[in-house]
Amino acid sequence: MTDRVAEAPAAVDASSLATARRERLRLLLRSGTFLAGAVIVVFWAVCAAFGTHIAPQDPYADDLLNTLDPPSADHWFGTDQLGRDVFSRVIVGAHDILTVAPLATILGTVLGAALGLLTGYFRGYVDDAVSRMIDAVNALPLVIIALLALVALGTSNVTVIVVIGFVFAPIIARTVRSAVLSERELDYVAAARLRGEGPLYIMFVEILPNVLPPILVESTVRLGYAIFTVATLSFIGFGIQPPSPDWGLAISESYGLIDGGYWWTVLFDAFAIASLVVGVNMLADGIQAVFET
Amino acid sequence: MNFARILAKRLALSLVTLWLLSVFVFAGGQLLPGDVGRAVLGPLADARAVANLNHMLGVDRPLLVQYGDWIGHFLVGNMGMSYIFRSPVAGFVTTALFNSFKLGLVAFVLVVPLGIVGGVFAALHVGRPIDRIISVVGLSATVLPEFVSGIVLIMIFGVWLDWLPITASWPEGAGPLTQVYYLFLPSLPLILVLFGYIARMARAGTVEALDADYTRTAVLKGLPRRTVIWRHVLRNALLPTITVIATQVGYLIGGLVVVEVLFHYQGIGGLIYTAARGKDFPMLEAGVLTVGIIYTVATLAADLLYSLLNPRIRFGGVE
Amino acid sequence: MKRNDKLIDGIRRQSTEIENQLIDELAAGLIGRREFLRHGSVLGMSLPLLTTLGGAFGLTAVAARPAMAAMGGTIKVATTVPAAAIDPVTIADGGGLLMLQQVGEFLCISGSDLRLRPALAQSWKPNQDGSVWTFSLRKGVKFNNGKSMTADDVVATIERLADPKNASNALSAFAGVLSKGNTKKVDDYTVSFQLDAPNGNFPYYVSSDNYNAIILPADYAGDFEKTFVGTGAFKLEKYTPKVGASFVRNDDYWGPKASPDRTEFVFYADMEPQVLALQGHQVDIINQLPVIQGIALLNDPSINILSIKSSAHTQVHMRNDMAPFTDKRVRRAVALCLDRKKLIKGLFRGHSDLGNDSPFAPVFPSTDKSVGQRDRDIAQAKQLLADAGFPNGFTVKLTSEKYLEIPEYCQVIQQAVRDAGITIDLNIESQDAYYGKAQFGQSDWLDSVLAATDYGHRGVPNVVLAAPLKSDGPWNAARFKNKEYDGLVGQYIAALDLQSQRAAAGQIQRLLLDESPIIFSYFYDFLTATTKKVAGAQATAMGQLFLNRATNL
Repeated sequence: MTDRVAEAPAAVDASSLATARRERLRLLLRSGTFLAGAVIVVFWAVCAAFGTHIAPQDPYADDLLNTLDPPSADHWFGTDQLGRDVFSRVIVGAHDILTVAPLATILGTVLGAALGLLTGYFRGYVDDAVSRMIDAVNALPLVIIALLALVALGTSNVTVIVVIGFVFAPIIARTVRSAVLSERELDYVAAARLRGEGPLYIMFVEILPNVLPPILVESTVRLGYAIFTVATLSFIGFGIQPPSPDWGLAISESYGLIDGGYWWTVLFDAFAIASLVVGVNMLADGIQAVFET
Repeated sequence: MNFARILAKRLALSLVTLWLLSVFVFAGGQLLPGDVGRAVLGPLADARAVANLNHMLGVDRPLLVQYGDWIGHFLVGNMGMSYIFRSPVAGFVTTALFNSFKLGLVAFVLVVPLGIVGGVFAALHVGRPIDRIISVVGLSATVLPEFVSGIVLIMIFGVWLDWLPITASWPEGAGPLTQVYYLFLPSLPLILVLFGYIARMARAGTVEALDADYTRTAVLKGLPRRTVIWRHVLRNALLPTITVIATQVGYLIGGLVVVEVLFHYQGIGGLIYTAARGKDFPMLEAGVLTVGIIYTVATLAADLLYSLLNPRIRFGGVE
Repeated sequence: MKRNDKLIDGIRRQSTEIENQLIDELAAGLIGRREFLRHGSVLGMSLPLLTTLGGAFGLTAVAARPAMAAMGGTIKVATTVPAAAIDPVTIADGGGLLMLQQVGEFLCISGSDLRLRPALAQSWKPNQDGSVWTFSLRKGVKFNNGKSMTADDVVATIERLADPKNASNALSAFAGVLSKGNTKKVDDYTVSFQLDAPNGNFPYYVSSDNYNAIILPADYAGDFEKTFVGTGAFKLEKYTPKVGASFVRNDDYWGPKASPDRTEFVFYADMEPQVLALQGHQVDIINQLPVIQGIALLNDPSINILSIKSSAHTQVHMRNDMAPFTDKRVRRAVALCLDRKKLIKGLFRGHSDLGNDSPFAPVFPSTDKSVGQRDRDIAQAKQLLADAGFPNGFTVKLTSEKYLEIPEYCQVIQQAVRDAGITIDLNIESQDAYYGKAQFGQSDWLDSVLAATDYGHRGVPNVVLAAPLKSDGPWNAARFKNKEYDGLVGQYIAALDLQSQRAAAGQIQRLLLDESPIIFSYFYDFLTATTKKVAGAQATAMGQLFLNRATNL
């Protein structure tokens, strides 16, 4: 990963800012990766929002006499071990992951930005102590931290959001902190201090708008990791709970059936996760490229 | 030079980090539902029996006492007895660690050459389609959750083609070659995750080196392109790659919970998971601290490697 | 074949009153041959005697004993990893009890047909009212450390299990049945048990059904994992925690020598690798195969599936003291929503019996089979709900555990009750979170308004009749307090003859159908899977595996 140093516009000229924004938007829209990613993400977002209306069959209706049927005209993706239509479940399964992961990212971003601003601006002991604790948490793989927290707190969508948000906050804080470190030396900050503005004002009104670009880039990257983590946690049984048709959960319920030849119960969910994750990643790549010029 | 001082400072910081980690895990473990006696005897056992067992295992002592007792022993190398198995934890941890190490090694041995070759190749054809393909594929693969790629690989190579075994449990007494055969499929998701990082670093380093003055000088001097690449470019391109690799070693040993679950492999990730569910404190703490130590050592080594190499060679954009 | 009245009379004169009652039932055609054998074995009548009687009544002979199996070979078994240290006093899981049973033996064995067979006890008899049972021990039995087995060892073993100070898993089985201090040596080869109350099924409590009750030497010091001391046909070769165990033939065994030279057990944390190991012939037997995880094997022509009827089930309880389940009409309505036949087909591929909302599984001889089977009836369910004041249904939370088929069962229930207007929100937790501290007020299992709990197999319905349903039962999550029920259960437990047991059972079954505090919709089979080469392996629904006569040659 590259060190990102945000540039502070020397003169905050309203019209030049607007031009810069429009220019960035144009670049985004011309970027192949961004567009491809956007298409995928928008597709799944639509499924997440309107899945129950789009799906051809009720994803929760079981049919105990027709369990584990292979794909056919009646069931394009076959049926699962309770006879439910896999195609409908794959569509509706987008909902939970596309609620939990973005919310977790937003939580992490808000907390991380605040933490980064505080440690970057104040430095000193606060900074050191917080950094030590962040290091301690980072000394463990993300999955294990989340697992321990979720076993302790019980698994529900809310706890998953909170846990992932809190674990992401330090990572985002790091990036924000380094951006703040370079910002605080600049003239406009000194000017604000001379004016007598308090630290909170300087951090959140003066500095924050100027570190928004790296925050944005970091949070789109984090979104990809959030989706990755939510899916993984569902798979090991500590994330989204039954009877949700969530993809990770469906895979964890069915992967033991693979060697019986019941491939349709897992393959389609796997492709769904893969496409979403890759799509978000491409989106993040596109944004990153544009904001780093 | 001040190298020794830097080393000492980093070491001290790492120790503080590890101590904090042990406290976090211990505190977190207290929040886990149920208790050891209940976990061992099951939900239908008599309450008196449970209380008895808890007392025998010493889990009704004050927390500070339990923690102090444990950390004191750990520091002299005694990881204590598993509450559930009543056997020394060290044995379980060592076996699990060894297993994770084996899997990590297989993945490592395969992904490093692959990544380097891929990255260098891409750099040599920079801007051309093959370059883009390698980059995009590499980066897409890194974000795929391991269980997703693992399952697809299981279905293709294990079930449909039936080329590879789909769980990593080789028959008792199997030789190293058989073990590698069984570990190949589980290592593939790991290879996919790491390939992108390594290839990108190798590519960046190679591009940098290709542009550098000494390369042009060598070419002007009339050395054949191949020799130039071998002697100058590769050597310099490898160095940032090595630092990236070092930072991934931690992941290769400790971050494998998902792959271990998927392939039913008894590594350290799985050990931690089971110990957490069973409230087996000594096992849990030992497992987590072990992973933490590995991560910290790996990061330390990577950082030191980086600072050793940094003054001599300049990289663009390597963390 | 004609009835041999002279022979019958001769036997009758030598039999106790209870035994005569059983013979009466057989004579009157009230019971069939199978039940006669089963119940006769509970009363301690020997197999030869029962066979003779059966023959004297003109019933077809018992199947000839299988020819002596060839000796030799190694049998490899895949099993779940024992959850804790192997300690006969505390073991509470399937992997652990299997290890105990390989070297240890019980006073009697509850076989795959729920019939009791003598093992370390040769015979047993109740007194007049069934409050004292006397067991005659086999002579010439040696522990694998050379010591001979006598009554002292039996007394010490059972006393150890009944002693509250020892934290034994068996304590919950003996509660209310046998207390410490009441197991007494009569002479070197006779032991008497003075029960807390008359109990017609007591021999099951010291059989293989009570899997902690392997007989150990009186001087046993608590180091089972090192010694694996026992009287069985195999003795320990090697035990590695979490990895596996191996046993070799015990040449000093009191009975016929075991057929295999060696047996090996490989421990697995999950089912899937076991399935693969069997398919790849790395093992010969999978000890226990839950249907939902073993689907791949059910259709595999190279695998034999041994299916044993069992009383394992899942209870769905409704809190009788909390809205909306205070009215029994609401409880009945919920029970009427389930299509039990479809449930069995979908969840167990048919490998299950139907449950009729009482602990009386069809497999028990004392079950009254004349009670009508409840089936799905949405019209009646809606009517009952309307009568009880819920014309538009209601919303309720169903809490449960992630274990075997239970998450799927809960989802099926959720769908099934929709037709009656009931909305269920699911909360499926890990097992430890669900059970909590297993005390009232500290456990989702015991406190939830609606919850599903797994219950393992037991050879007699006594425990399941009492613990979850009696007013003072420790597992009474449903808070079902019904004096009439308590009385009937007392009658059932004390009844010594099959007829009285069945009469009490019928009344209990009808009462529970009316009150419906708990839904019992199925009793699923116990499945064992073997390669086609394996013969002679005997499993029990408890999870034990007798390999004495097993061959894979």
